[in-house]
Amino acid sequence: MNTLHRSLLSCFCVGAATLLMLGGCSVSQATKDAVARADTRYQQAQQTLGNSEGSAFELQRAKDHLEQAKKAVKDNDEKPAQRLAQQAELDVELAVAKSQQATARKAAAELQASIQQLRQETERSTGPTR
Amino acid sequence: MKRNHLSIAAASAAALLAACSSTPESIPELDTAKAIVPQVESSPRAGVAATNISEARKALDRANELAAKGKDAEDIKFEASVAAANAQIAATKIDTAQAREEIEKGTLERQQVQLEARTREADRVQQELRDLQAKQTDRGMVLTLGDVLFDTGKATLKPGAYSTIDRLAQVLNSSHNSRVVIEGHTDSVGSEEMNQSLSEQRALAVQSALMQRGVSGSQVRSLGKGETTPVAGNDTASGRQANRRVELIFSQDASRVAAEE
Repeated sequence: MNTLHRSLLSCFCVGAATLLMLGGCSVSQATKDAVARADTRYQQAQQTLGNSEGSAFELQRAKDHLEQAKKAVKDNDEKPAQRLAQQAELDVELAVAKSQQATARKAAAELQASIQQLRQETERSTGPTR
Repeated sequence: MKRNHLSIAAASAAALLAACSSTPESIPELDTAKAIVPQVESSPRAGVAATNISEARKALDRANELAAKGKDAEDIKFEASVAAANAQIAATKIDTAQAREEIEKGTLERQQVQLEARTREADRVQQELRDLQAKQTDRGMVLTLGDVLFDTGKATLKPGAYSTIDRLAQVLNSSHNSRVVIEGHTDSVGSEEMNQSLSEQRALAVQSALMQRGVSGSQVRSLGKGETTPVAGNDTASGRQANRRVELIFSQDASRVAAEE
């Protein structure tokens, strides 16, 4: 009776432990890493881009996706967590690309304007003077 | 039993219909991805976003495969959105590369326009100085103000010099790249010290007159050469008169450009 009791108890313990482990492992380490990486990239992008033009929308979307990903990790939803982390990372990458695009486009436009102005000044100073 | 068969058939038909309704055409995310991925792939600047373009293609292929097998619409949507996001990142990087090429070209163009502006300015100044009887020499354009424009033995300019000084000031004010060195010269009559001093004062008088007319001090420099540099013999009256002079030597500052003024 005592042995039976013991083996029943140990059975129960193993079962409970397995259940606990299953619960704890339902979001893989790889996905947790992916969420953490997306979080880091988001923080970096937010620091470097700040409120720079052209990327605010993408940064906000990255933040939303990231928060949902963290929630999915908590809720042990493997697939949504993994997908949301990936989406957040793509949002961040687009935000960075858009910010660089805005900077380059602005510089290109300013350069064109300065060429235009220089041309007009040249016309004015050498044209009607003589 | 027969009824049962019928209901199974109906259920299968419904399932088929449902499968039909999730064919690729009905997923807008997939349509978008299908439209934009080939666009970035065919861009001549695709190289600047090679990784994104390859990721976009892989995700689109996965989405197409899932759609062909009639898999879950959510999975198809996800893969399609990954494809579309990568394509959008690629398109943004491609446009950034294009903007940078424009900047490179524009920088060259700007230099050319500046060079052209400087050349035209130099030509205009040279023409105006020629109109003032300046001569082209190996030191540059040189304008000589004769002894008659000064009170005898003094450093004061006669009113007869004013129109020339006015026009010179105009030229210098209209061309901030222009520089002038003002050199005073005398004949050999009198002591060297006296002549040195008079030549310095006459050069300074011309400099002051120009600066009173708004010319910047950075454009004008004056010095006296005394009797050291005659242009004629000091043994005749006409030779001595030719030696008593103020020379203005003009140049263009090469380090400055019109746009920086």
